[in-house]
Amino acid sequence: MTYFSKKLINNIRLFTLLFCVILTSCKSTLDVEGNFPTPVINQMPFSIGVVFDPQFISYRYIETGKDRSEWEISVGKAQVQLFDVVLKAMFSEVITSNKLRGMTNKPIDLFFQPSLENFQYNVPNETKGKMFEVWLKYNLKVFDGQQQLMADWVLTAYGKTPTAFLKSDEAALNEAMVIALRDLGAGIALRFGHVPEINLWLKSKHQALQASTAHQEIDDVN
Amino acid sequence: MSEYKSYQLVLFSVICFGLFGCTTVTIDQGQHQEVTMHQGDSIVVMGRRAGSDYETEPELISCIGEVLAKTNESLNVIPENDFVDRLYPWFEARTAPTHVRDLNRLLSYDKISALIEDYKVQYIVWVDGNTEKTRSAGSISCGLSATGAACFGFGTWDTKSEYEATIWDYNSRQLVGKVSSTADGTSYMPAIVIPIPIIAPVQADACKAMAAQLGHFFGSERKSAEVPNTN
Repeated sequence: MTYFSKKLINNIRLFTLLFCVILTSCKSTLDVEGNFPTPVINQMPFSIGVVFDPQFISYRYIETGKDRSEWEISVGKAQVQLFDVVLKAMFSEVITSNKLRGMTNKPIDLFFQPSLENFQYNVPNETKGKMFEVWLKYNLKVFDGQQQLMADWVLTAYGKTPTAFLKSDEAALNEAMVIALRDLGAGIALRFGHVPEINLWLKSKHQALQASTAHQEIDDVN
Repeated sequence: MSEYKSYQLVLFSVICFGLFGCTTVTIDQGQHQEVTMHQGDSIVVMGRRAGSDYETEPELISCIGEVLAKTNESLNVIPENDFVDRLYPWFEARTAPTHVRDLNRLLSYDKISALIEDYKVQYIVWVDGNTEKTRSAGSISCGLSATGAACFGFGTWDTKSEYEATIWDYNSRQLVGKVSSTADGTSYMPAIVIPIPIIAPVQADACKAMAAQLGHFFGSERKSAEVPNTN
């Protein structure tokens, strides 16, 4: 191979690399970040084991639609952060693990496993109101202390944010994501006890707690 | 030469930043109940976000809060984000009370009522509405050549802001009054080599008008509520 053909190959390589860099920079990437406040709710005197499987922790949405601009959105870290804050406010003890079986030797009242089933978003040129919109559909599985499935609950969340002057698309979509996650947190915190199977379980637990307290009081008097 | 350059710079700045389109603002106020403000009482201004095809802009809410606080120094305005975060998840888009009577249900929770009383909230102001472009016309074309870039053409667009503020009395759990602000404006963009934007600050004017009217609403009432000094 001559000196010139070597140089030509090197130039082609360099050009290809530069072209790839330019192409990559056209893709929008978003690692969702936000602060989630602690919910103001009454804490339940129960322990809960939460299962965040590796797929949930590293959930990433990659846009594959040919008619849409390229987006890569990482939701995993933010959704784990939200569940962590909300569940710690709801339950007196929270233990997290990446698998249901063999989580702990301690007796646990409830087990909880969330999964993100569907993620959708719209950018301003796709909406009438020129807004960024996000829909999230979660499947929330609740197991009793013996790890028997008690409730299989679907919860949807929605967030939107208007386009604003001097705000990047990434910042606007991040804001819509955070609003959707806050909506999810509100749904869990306020509707958990309204799921029929969970409501029944909570009532029986409260009755058992009241009976045991009354029994204890009688023992103390005697 | 340097004087000429600075003259050009000043002229350019005036063209770029000094020209604004005109806005027409209409304010309407309705009062249902008499209101009283005492020293240390606070108000909170929040945006309604439950509409499916529009969103009350957060920057408008913070603008109203800031202008209100600036023009009425004795009025304590709680920032929307602080209040909503502290009372999470009760004032989110889908969980916030939509009617004044819903406050009773919300305040049956001791923790919530304790937090709101901590803030010394006397009035809750809900702002609903948005700003949108209603019409646009004209065209501007830009070209790039070896000698440089240039634009030529003319563009114009109309913007409309419509907001309504509903004022709730936290203590009596009653609707106190409503203030509405409607602003219309036309912006222009002539382009002769460079585009010169002549923007009508419709949203900013709607904010200022709404804040001024709310300030008058609370300010005038506060005067009547002041205890006369008998000494």
